[in-house]
Amino acid sequence: MNVKSKSEYQEILVKGVWSQNPVAYQVLGICSALAVTVKMSTAVVMALALTAVTACSSMIISSMRKIIPSNVRIIVELAVISTLVIVTDQILKAYFYDISKQLSIFVGLIITNCIVLGRAEAFALANDPIDSFVDGIANGLGYGLILVLVAFIRELLGSGNFLGFQVIPDALYNLGFQNMGLMVLAPGAFFVIGLLVWLKNSLPGISSQKK
Amino acid sequence: MFEKNSKSHVILFALVLSVVCSLLITGAATGLKARQQENMDLDKKANLLRAAGLLDAGQKPGKETINALYDQRIEEVVVDRQGKVIETQEAGSMHLYFVHARDTGQRRDLNNISGYIVPINTRGLWGKIQGYLAFENDGQTVSGFSVFSHSETPGLGGEIESAWFRKNFKGKKILNSQDKFVSIGIAKGKAGDLPKDEQENYVDGISGATLTGRYLSEGIKNTLMKYEGVSVTFRQKQLKTKADDPDHG
Repeated sequence: MNVKSKSEYQEILVKGVWSQNPVAYQVLGICSALAVTVKMSTAVVMALALTAVTACSSMIISSMRKIIPSNVRIIVELAVISTLVIVTDQILKAYFYDISKQLSIFVGLIITNCIVLGRAEAFALANDPIDSFVDGIANGLGYGLILVLVAFIRELLGSGNFLGFQVIPDALYNLGFQNMGLMVLAPGAFFVIGLLVWLKNSLPGISSQKK
Repeated sequence: MFEKNSKSHVILFALVLSVVCSLLITGAATGLKARQQENMDLDKKANLLRAAGLLDAGQKPGKETINALYDQRIEEVVVDRQGKVIETQEAGSMHLYFVHARDTGQRRDLNNISGYIVPINTRGLWGKIQGYLAFENDGQTVSGFSVFSHSETPGLGGEIESAWFRKNFKGKKILNSQDKFVSIGIAKGKAGDLPKDEQENYVDGISGATLTGRYLSEGIKNTLMKYEGVSVTFRQKQLKTKADDPDHG
Protein backbone atom coordinates (compact mmCIF):
# COMPACT_ATOMS: atom_id res chain seq x y z
CA MET A 1 0.00 0.00 0.00
CA ASN A 2 1.65 3.22 -1.10
CA VAL A 3 1.07 6.39 0.81
CA LYS A 4 -0.16 9.20 -1.38
CA SER A 5 0.72 12.84 -1.18
CA LYS A 6 -1.66 15.26 0.43
CA SER A 7 -2.89 16.72 -2.82
CA GLU A 8 -4.13 13.38 -4.05
CA TYR A 9 -6.35 12.95 -1.01
CA GLN A 10 -7.50 16.50 -1.53
CA GLU A 11 -8.50 15.59 -5.05
CA ILE A 12 -10.56 12.63 -3.81
CA LEU A 13 -12.22 14.88 -1.26
CA VAL A 14 -13.07 17.61 -3.75
CA LYS A 15 -14.47 15.05 -6.16
CA GLY A 16 -16.70 13.49 -3.54
CA VAL A 17 -17.91 16.64 -1.88
CA TRP A 18 -18.31 18.84 -4.90
CA SER A 19 -17.40 18.03 -8.49
CA GLN A 20 -18.80 14.50 -8.45
CA ASN A 21 -21.21 15.01 -5.59
CA PRO A 22 -23.14 11.77 -4.97
CA VAL A 23 -26.56 13.41 -4.98
CA ALA A 24 -26.11 16.23 -7.46
CA TYR A 25 -23.77 14.53 -9.94
CA GLN A 26 -24.11 10.77 -9.48
CA VAL A 27 -27.80 11.08 -8.52
CA LEU A 28 -27.46 8.45 -5.76
CA GLY A 29 -29.17 8.36 -2.39
CA ILE A 30 -32.15 10.40 -3.56
CA CYS A 31 -34.69 8.26 -1.72
CA SER A 32 -33.26 8.94 1.71
CA ALA A 33 -32.65 12.57 0.77
CA LEU A 34 -36.41 12.89 0.38
CA ALA A 35 -37.25 11.17 3.63
CA VAL A 36 -35.00 12.89 6.13
CA THR A 37 -34.82 16.47 4.91
CA VAL A 38 -38.00 17.82 6.49
CA LYS A 39 -35.93 19.00 9.43
CA MET A 40 -32.29 20.01 9.77
CA SER A 41 -31.63 17.86 12.82
CA THR A 42 -32.56 14.56 11.17
CA ALA A 43 -30.61 15.51 8.05
CA VAL A 44 -27.45 16.11 10.08
CA VAL A 45 -27.77 12.83 11.98
CA MET A 46 -28.34 10.92 8.76
CA ALA A 47 -25.38 12.59 7.04
CA LEU A 48 -23.00 11.77 9.91
CA ALA A 49 -24.16 8.16 10.15
CA LEU A 50 -23.89 7.65 6.43
CA THR A 51 -20.41 9.17 6.30
CA ALA A 52 -19.18 6.77 8.97
CA VAL A 53 -20.76 3.74 7.29
CA THR A 54 -19.56 4.58 3.78
CA ALA A 55 -16.01 5.21 4.97
CA CYS A 56 -15.77 1.99 6.99
CA SER A 57 -17.51 -0.26 4.49
CA SER A 58 -15.42 1.09 1.61
CA MET A 59 -12.27 0.45 3.60
CA ILE A 60 -13.25 -3.13 4.49
CA ILE A 61 -14.34 -3.98 0.97
CA SER A 62 -11.23 -2.41 -0.50
CA SER A 63 -8.98 -4.46 1.75
CA MET A 64 -10.68 -7.62 0.48
CA ARG A 65 -10.87 -6.52 -3.14
CA LYS A 66 -8.16 -8.90 -4.32
CA ILE A 67 -10.00 -11.98 -3.09
CA ILE A 68 -13.63 -10.99 -3.75
CA PRO A 69 -14.86 -13.09 -6.70
CA SER A 70 -16.17 -10.56 -9.20
CA ASN A 71 -19.29 -12.52 -10.12
CA VAL A 72 -20.70 -12.42 -6.58
CA ARG A 73 -19.27 -9.06 -5.59
CA ILE A 74 -22.55 -7.19 -5.14
CA ILE A 75 -23.82 -9.76 -2.67
CA VAL A 76 -20.51 -9.66 -0.84
CA GLU A 77 -20.67 -5.88 -0.64
CA LEU A 78 -24.23 -5.99 0.67
CA ALA A 79 -23.35 -8.61 3.27
CA VAL A 80 -20.40 -6.55 4.51
CA ILE A 81 -22.40 -3.32 4.65
CA SER A 82 -25.41 -4.76 6.43
CA THR A 83 -23.29 -6.70 8.92
CA LEU A 84 -21.36 -3.54 9.69
CA VAL A 85 -24.51 -1.49 10.23
CA ILE A 86 -26.29 -4.11 12.32
CA VAL A 87 -23.30 -4.81 14.56
CA THR A 88 -22.75 -1.07 15.10
CA ASP A 89 -26.40 -0.67 15.96
CA GLN A 90 -26.20 -3.51 18.50
CA ILE A 91 -23.15 -1.96 20.14
CA LEU A 92 -24.81 1.44 20.28
CA LYS A 93 -27.91 -0.14 21.82
CA ALA A 94 -25.80 -1.60 24.60
CA TYR A 95 -23.48 1.30 25.37
CA PHE A 96 -24.97 4.48 23.90
CA TYR A 97 -28.67 3.89 24.20
CA ASP A 98 -29.76 7.47 23.58
CA ILE A 99 -27.76 7.77 20.37
CA SER A 100 -29.03 4.42 19.21
CA LYS A 101 -32.63 5.43 19.77
CA GLN A 102 -32.01 8.43 17.55
CA LEU A 103 -30.29 6.34 14.91
CA SER A 104 -32.21 3.10 14.94
CA ILE A 105 -34.90 4.40 12.61
CA PHE A 106 -32.17 5.38 10.15
CA VAL A 107 -30.55 1.95 10.09
CA GLY A 108 -32.77 0.61 7.32
CA LEU A 109 -32.26 3.79 5.37
CA ILE A 110 -28.47 3.47 5.64
CA ILE A 111 -28.20 -0.17 4.54
CA THR A 112 -30.28 0.46 1.46
CA ASN A 113 -28.64 3.76 0.61
CA CYS A 114 -27.25 3.46 -2.89
CA ILE A 115 -24.28 5.70 -2.08
CA VAL A 116 -22.76 3.06 0.20
CA LEU A 117 -23.07 0.35 -2.41
CA GLY A 118 -22.24 2.74 -5.23
CA ARG A 119 -18.94 3.78 -3.72
CA ALA A 120 -18.01 0.20 -2.84
CA GLU A 121 -18.69 -0.79 -6.43
CA ALA A 122 -17.23 2.21 -8.21
CA PHE A 123 -14.27 3.08 -6.02
CA ALA A 124 -13.36 0.60 -3.29
CA LEU A 125 -13.01 -2.36 -5.65
CA ALA A 126 -10.32 -0.55 -7.63
CA ASN A 127 -8.44 1.43 -5.00
CA ASP A 128 -6.48 0.77 -1.83
CA PRO A 129 -8.13 0.91 1.62
CA ILE A 130 -6.90 4.35 2.70
CA ASP A 131 -8.03 5.97 -0.54
CA SER A 132 -11.36 4.20 -0.21
CA PHE A 133 -11.75 5.43 3.36
CA VAL A 134 -11.13 9.02 2.24
CA ASP A 135 -13.49 8.54 -0.68
CA GLY A 136 -16.17 7.28 1.68
CA ILE A 137 -15.77 10.33 3.91
CA ALA A 138 -15.80 12.64 0.89
CA ASN A 139 -18.99 11.15 -0.50
CA GLY A 140 -20.65 11.12 2.89
CA LEU A 141 -19.85 14.79 3.30
CA GLY A 142 -21.01 15.56 -0.22
CA TYR A 143 -24.29 13.82 0.53
CA GLY A 144 -24.49 15.69 3.83
CA LEU A 145 -23.91 19.02 2.11
CA ILE A 146 -26.90 18.55 -0.19
CA LEU A 147 -29.01 17.09 2.63
CA VAL A 148 -28.37 20.04 4.91
CA LEU A 149 -29.04 22.55 2.13
CA VAL A 150 -32.29 20.86 1.18
CA ALA A 151 -33.33 20.50 4.81
CA PHE A 152 -32.54 24.15 5.47
CA ILE A 153 -34.78 25.28 2.63
CA ARG A 154 -37.55 22.83 3.45
CA GLU A 155 -37.59 23.54 7.17
CA LEU A 156 -37.49 27.29 6.62
CA LEU A 157 -40.23 27.43 4.01
CA GLY A 158 -42.24 24.46 5.23
CA SER A 159 -42.42 25.17 8.95
CA GLY A 160 -40.72 28.53 9.37
CA ASN A 161 -38.08 27.00 11.61
CA PHE A 162 -34.33 26.59 11.73
CA LEU A 163 -33.12 23.60 13.77
CA GLY A 164 -36.49 23.55 15.49
CA PHE A 165 -36.52 27.24 16.46
CA GLN A 166 -38.96 29.59 14.87
CA VAL A 167 -37.10 32.12 12.74
CA ILE A 168 -39.88 33.66 10.67
CA PRO A 169 -41.27 36.39 12.94
CA ASP A 170 -44.91 36.32 14.02
CA ALA A 171 -45.35 39.76 12.48
CA LEU A 172 -44.90 38.25 9.05
CA TYR A 173 -47.52 35.59 9.77
CA ASN A 174 -49.89 38.32 10.91
CA LEU A 175 -49.38 40.03 7.55
CA GLY A 176 -50.71 36.89 5.91
CA PHE A 177 -47.51 34.92 5.34
CA GLN A 178 -48.15 31.19 5.26
CA ASN A 179 -45.90 28.16 5.53
CA MET A 180 -45.51 26.30 2.27
CA GLY A 181 -47.30 23.00 2.86
CA LEU A 182 -45.68 21.48 -0.21
CA MET A 183 -42.26 21.72 1.41
CA VAL A 184 -43.00 19.23 4.19
CA LEU A 185 -44.15 16.64 1.67
CA ALA A 186 -41.88 14.53 -0.51
CA PRO A 187 -42.54 16.46 -3.75
CA GLY A 188 -41.09 19.55 -2.08
CA ALA A 189 -37.78 17.73 -1.77
CA PHE A 190 -37.90 16.74 -5.44
CA PHE A 191 -38.27 20.36 -6.47
CA VAL A 192 -35.53 21.58 -4.16
CA ILE A 193 -33.08 18.84 -5.16
CA GLY A 194 -33.85 19.40 -8.82
CA LEU A 195 -33.24 23.12 -8.49
CA LEU A 196 -30.01 22.52 -6.58
CA VAL A 197 -28.71 20.09 -9.21
CA TRP A 198 -29.54 22.57 -11.93
CA LEU A 199 -27.89 25.39 -10.01
CA LYS A 200 -24.75 23.39 -9.29
CA ASN A 201 -24.32 22.17 -12.84
CA SER A 202 -24.86 25.60 -14.32
CA LEU A 203 -22.24 27.26 -12.14
CA PRO A 204 -19.29 28.25 -14.36
CA GLY A 205 -16.23 26.00 -14.40
CA ILE A 206 -17.80 22.84 -13.10
CA SER A 207 -20.39 21.99 -15.67
CA SER A 208 -20.79 18.30 -16.20
CA GLN A 209 -20.03 18.56 -19.92
CA LYS A 210 -16.42 19.42 -19.16
CA LYS A 211 -15.73 16.04 -17.57
CA MET B 1 -1.92 -16.37 -7.59
CA PHE B 2 -5.17 -18.31 -7.34
CA GLU B 3 -8.00 -18.03 -9.82
CA LYS B 4 -10.37 -15.39 -8.38
CA ASN B 5 -13.42 -16.58 -10.27
CA SER B 6 -12.98 -20.31 -10.03
CA LYS B 7 -16.03 -22.15 -8.74
CA SER B 8 -14.22 -23.53 -5.73
CA HIS B 9 -13.00 -20.09 -4.70
CA VAL B 10 -16.44 -18.51 -5.10
CA ILE B 11 -18.05 -21.18 -2.93
CA LEU B 12 -15.30 -21.07 -0.32
CA PHE B 13 -15.39 -17.28 -0.21
CA ALA B 14 -19.16 -17.17 0.12
CA LEU B 15 -19.06 -19.77 2.89
CA VAL B 16 -16.37 -18.01 4.88
CA LEU B 17 -18.04 -14.64 4.47
CA SER B 18 -21.45 -15.94 5.56
CA VAL B 19 -19.98 -17.66 8.60
CA VAL B 20 -17.98 -14.60 9.61
CA CYS B 21 -20.94 -12.24 9.14
CA SER B 22 -23.37 -14.46 11.02
CA LEU B 23 -20.90 -15.00 13.84
CA LEU B 24 -20.40 -11.26 14.17
CA ILE B 25 -24.12 -10.53 14.25
CA THR B 26 -24.99 -13.41 16.55
CA GLY B 27 -22.08 -12.56 18.79
CA ALA B 28 -23.08 -8.92 19.05
CA ALA B 29 -26.77 -9.72 19.55
CA THR B 30 -26.35 -12.36 22.25
CA GLY B 31 -23.26 -10.97 23.95
CA LEU B 32 -24.82 -7.56 24.44
CA LYS B 33 -28.35 -8.73 25.14
CA ALA B 34 -28.23 -8.29 28.92
CA ARG B 35 -27.01 -4.73 28.66
CA GLN B 36 -29.53 -3.87 25.96
CA GLN B 37 -32.37 -5.33 28.00
CA GLU B 38 -31.31 -3.27 30.98
CA ASN B 39 -31.26 -0.12 28.86
CA MET B 40 -34.67 -0.92 27.44
CA ASP B 41 -36.23 -1.54 30.86
CA LEU B 42 -34.80 1.73 32.09
CA ASP B 43 -36.12 3.54 29.04
CA LYS B 44 -39.54 2.01 29.60
CA LYS B 45 -39.58 3.25 33.18
CA ALA B 46 -38.40 6.69 32.11
CA ASN B 47 -41.20 6.83 29.55
CA LEU B 48 -43.80 5.80 32.11
CA LEU B 49 -42.56 8.51 34.43
CA ARG B 50 -42.58 10.98 31.57
CA ALA B 51 -46.16 10.10 30.65
CA ALA B 52 -47.17 10.56 34.28
CA GLY B 53 -45.53 13.97 34.26
CA LEU B 54 -43.02 12.98 36.94
CA LEU B 55 -40.06 13.65 34.66
CA ASP B 56 -39.59 16.76 32.56
CA ALA B 57 -38.96 16.30 28.88
CA GLY B 58 -35.54 17.89 28.97
CA GLN B 59 -34.40 16.07 32.10
CA LYS B 60 -31.86 13.28 31.71
CA PRO B 61 -31.70 11.67 35.13
CA GLY B 62 -29.38 8.83 36.02
CA LYS B 63 -30.23 5.19 36.42
CA GLU B 64 -30.66 5.34 40.19
CA THR B 65 -33.00 8.32 40.09
CA ILE B 66 -35.27 6.68 37.56
CA ASN B 67 -35.37 3.36 39.40
CA ALA B 68 -36.02 5.02 42.75
CA LEU B 69 -38.74 7.30 41.41
CA TYR B 70 -40.36 4.41 39.58
CA ASP B 71 -40.40 2.18 42.64
CA GLN B 72 -41.90 4.95 44.77
CA ARG B 73 -44.58 6.21 42.47
CA ILE B 74 -45.53 3.65 39.86
CA GLU B 75 -47.03 0.24 40.33
CA GLU B 76 -47.74 -2.27 37.61
CA VAL B 77 -50.99 -4.20 38.07
CA VAL B 78 -53.19 -6.57 36.14
CA VAL B 79 -56.86 -5.66 35.84
CA ASP B 80 -59.92 -7.31 34.34
CA ARG B 81 -62.31 -5.67 31.90
CA GLN B 82 -64.30 -4.10 34.73
CA GLY B 83 -61.22 -2.39 36.07
CA LYS B 84 -60.85 -4.62 39.13
CA VAL B 85 -57.31 -5.51 40.15
CA ILE B 86 -56.70 -9.24 39.88
CA GLU B 87 -53.79 -11.30 41.08
CA THR B 88 -53.33 -13.68 38.20
CA GLN B 89 -53.25 -13.13 34.49
CA GLU B 90 -56.19 -14.63 32.68
CA ALA B 91 -57.84 -14.28 29.32
CA GLY B 92 -58.95 -10.70 28.81
CA SER B 93 -56.82 -9.30 31.64
CA MET B 94 -54.87 -6.17 30.91
CA HIS B 95 -51.78 -4.41 32.17
CA LEU B 96 -52.18 -1.10 33.88
CA TYR B 97 -49.93 1.22 35.84
CA PHE B 98 -51.09 3.11 38.90
CA VAL B 99 -49.48 6.44 39.69
CA HIS B 100 -49.27 7.07 43.44
CA ALA B 101 -49.67 10.56 44.72
CA ARG B 102 -46.93 10.02 47.28
CA ASP B 103 -44.86 7.16 48.53
CA THR B 104 -46.70 5.69 51.48
CA GLY B 105 -45.47 2.16 51.04
CA GLN B 106 -49.15 1.27 50.84
CA ARG B 107 -49.96 -0.34 47.54
CA ARG B 108 -53.31 -0.40 45.80
CA ASP B 109 -54.75 2.12 48.21
CA LEU B 110 -57.19 3.74 45.83
CA ASN B 111 -57.24 6.98 47.83
CA ASN B 112 -53.57 7.47 47.16
CA ILE B 113 -53.75 7.05 43.41
CA SER B 114 -53.30 10.25 41.48
CA GLY B 115 -53.71 8.65 38.10
CA TYR B 116 -53.18 5.65 35.91
CA ILE B 117 -51.25 4.84 32.78
CA VAL B 118 -52.55 2.80 29.88
CA PRO B 119 -50.00 1.10 27.63
CA ILE B 120 -50.68 1.83 23.96
CA ASN B 121 -49.59 -0.77 21.47
CA THR B 122 -50.68 -0.17 17.91
CA ARG B 123 -49.57 -0.36 14.33
CA GLY B 124 -48.00 2.64 12.69
CA LEU B 125 -47.21 3.28 9.06
CA TRP B 126 -43.99 1.21 9.03
CA GLY B 127 -44.06 -0.77 12.21
CA LYS B 128 -45.41 -1.01 15.71
CA ILE B 129 -45.87 2.06 17.85
CA GLN B 130 -45.56 1.49 21.58
CA GLY B 131 -46.31 4.21 24.04
CA TYR B 132 -48.07 5.21 27.23
CA LEU B 133 -51.09 7.37 27.82
CA ALA B 134 -51.48 8.67 31.36
CA PHE B 135 -54.74 9.82 32.92
CA GLU B 136 -55.61 11.80 36.00
CA ASN B 137 -57.70 10.05 38.62
CA ASP B 138 -60.90 11.61 37.29
CA GLY B 139 -60.86 8.91 34.63
CA GLN B 140 -61.17 11.26 31.69
CA THR B 141 -58.40 13.87 31.59
CA VAL B 142 -55.15 12.93 29.87
CA SER B 143 -52.12 13.95 31.90
CA GLY B 144 -49.45 12.90 29.46
CA PHE B 145 -48.31 10.80 26.56
CA SER B 146 -45.00 9.24 25.67
CA VAL B 147 -43.69 7.01 22.92
CA PHE B 148 -41.47 4.13 23.85
CA SER B 149 -40.64 2.73 20.44
CA HIS B 150 -41.69 3.28 16.85
CA SER B 151 -40.28 3.01 13.35
CA GLU B 152 -41.94 5.97 11.65
CA THR B 153 -40.06 8.16 9.17
CA PRO B 154 -37.75 10.61 10.94
CA GLY B 155 -39.02 14.15 10.58
CA LEU B 156 -42.51 13.05 9.53
CA GLY B 157 -44.27 10.30 11.50
CA GLY B 158 -41.23 10.18 13.76
CA GLU B 159 -42.42 13.46 15.24
CA ILE B 160 -44.80 11.48 17.47
CA GLU B 161 -41.95 11.19 19.96
CA SER B 162 -41.09 14.87 19.88
CA ALA B 163 -41.82 17.06 22.87
CA TRP B 164 -44.33 19.35 21.14
CA PHE B 165 -46.47 16.46 19.99
CA ARG B 166 -46.45 14.75 23.38
CA LYS B 167 -47.26 18.00 25.18
CA ASN B 168 -50.30 18.28 22.94
CA PHE B 169 -52.07 15.57 24.90
CA LYS B 170 -51.93 17.16 28.32
CA GLY B 171 -55.36 18.25 29.53
CA LYS B 172 -57.31 16.67 26.67
CA LYS B 173 -60.40 14.65 27.51
CA ILE B 174 -61.65 11.27 26.33
CA LEU B 175 -65.26 12.28 27.00
CA ASN B 176 -67.15 14.77 24.87
CA SER B 177 -69.31 17.60 26.19
CA GLN B 178 -72.21 15.14 26.69
CA ASP B 179 -69.91 12.95 28.85
CA LYS B 180 -69.88 10.22 26.22
CA PHE B 181 -66.71 8.28 25.45
CA VAL B 182 -65.11 9.49 22.20
CA SER B 183 -61.39 8.80 22.77
CA ILE B 184 -58.58 11.14 21.71
CA GLY B 185 -57.93 11.68 18.04
CA ILE B 186 -55.05 13.16 16.13
CA ALA B 187 -56.46 15.99 14.04
CA LYS B 188 -55.60 16.58 10.42
CA GLY B 189 -53.95 19.92 10.90
CA LYS B 190 -54.44 21.96 14.04
CA ALA B 191 -56.91 20.95 16.74
CA GLY B 192 -57.77 24.63 17.10
CA ASP B 193 -59.34 24.65 13.62
CA LEU B 194 -61.98 22.12 14.68
CA PRO B 195 -65.43 23.03 16.02
CA LYS B 196 -65.22 24.30 19.58
CA ASP B 197 -66.86 21.29 21.23
CA GLU B 198 -64.46 18.85 19.55
CA GLN B 199 -61.25 20.64 20.43
CA GLU B 200 -60.97 18.91 23.78
CA ASN B 201 -60.92 15.51 22.11
CA TYR B 202 -58.27 16.22 19.48
CA VAL B 203 -54.57 17.00 19.46
CA ASP B 204 -52.64 18.84 16.73
CA GLY B 205 -51.66 16.60 13.83
CA ILE B 206 -48.29 16.28 12.14
CA SER B 207 -48.14 17.66 8.62
CA GLY B 208 -46.91 15.06 6.16
CA ALA B 209 -47.79 12.21 8.49
CA THR B 210 -51.52 11.78 8.03
CA LEU B 211 -51.38 7.99 8.03
CA THR B 212 -49.27 7.73 11.17
CA GLY B 213 -51.80 10.00 12.85
CA ARG B 214 -54.72 7.92 11.63
CA TYR B 215 -53.22 4.63 12.83
CA LEU B 216 -52.29 6.13 16.17
CA SER B 217 -55.82 7.54 16.61
CA GLU B 218 -57.30 4.14 15.80
CA GLY B 219 -54.90 2.39 18.15
CA ILE B 220 -55.62 4.76 21.02
CA LYS B 221 -59.36 4.42 20.50
CA ASN B 222 -59.29 0.61 20.42
CA THR B 223 -57.07 0.45 23.49
CA LEU B 224 -59.14 2.94 25.45
CA MET B 225 -62.32 1.10 24.58
CA LYS B 226 -60.83 -1.99 26.21
CA TYR B 227 -59.80 0.06 29.25
CA GLU B 228 -63.11 1.89 29.50
CA GLY B 229 -64.00 -0.26 32.53
CA VAL B 230 -60.99 1.10 34.37
CA SER B 231 -61.81 4.68 33.45
CA VAL B 232 -65.43 4.24 34.51
CA THR B 233 -64.29 2.97 37.92
CA PHE B 234 -62.22 6.10 38.37
CA ARG B 235 -65.03 8.38 37.20
CA GLN B 236 -67.53 6.84 39.62
CA LYS B 237 -65.07 7.10 42.46
CA GLN B 238 -64.53 10.75 41.60
CA LEU B 239 -68.30 11.41 41.69
CA LYS B 240 -68.56 9.66 45.01
CA THR B 241 -65.79 11.67 46.64
CA LYS B 242 -67.38 14.84 45.37
CA ALA B 243 -70.75 13.82 46.82
CA ASP B 244 -69.21 12.85 50.17
CA ASP B 245 -67.23 16.01 50.50
CA PRO B 246 -69.00 18.94 48.86
CA ASP B 247 -66.36 21.46 49.93
CA HIS B 248 -63.66 19.56 48.14
CA GLY B 249 -62.80 20.48 44.57
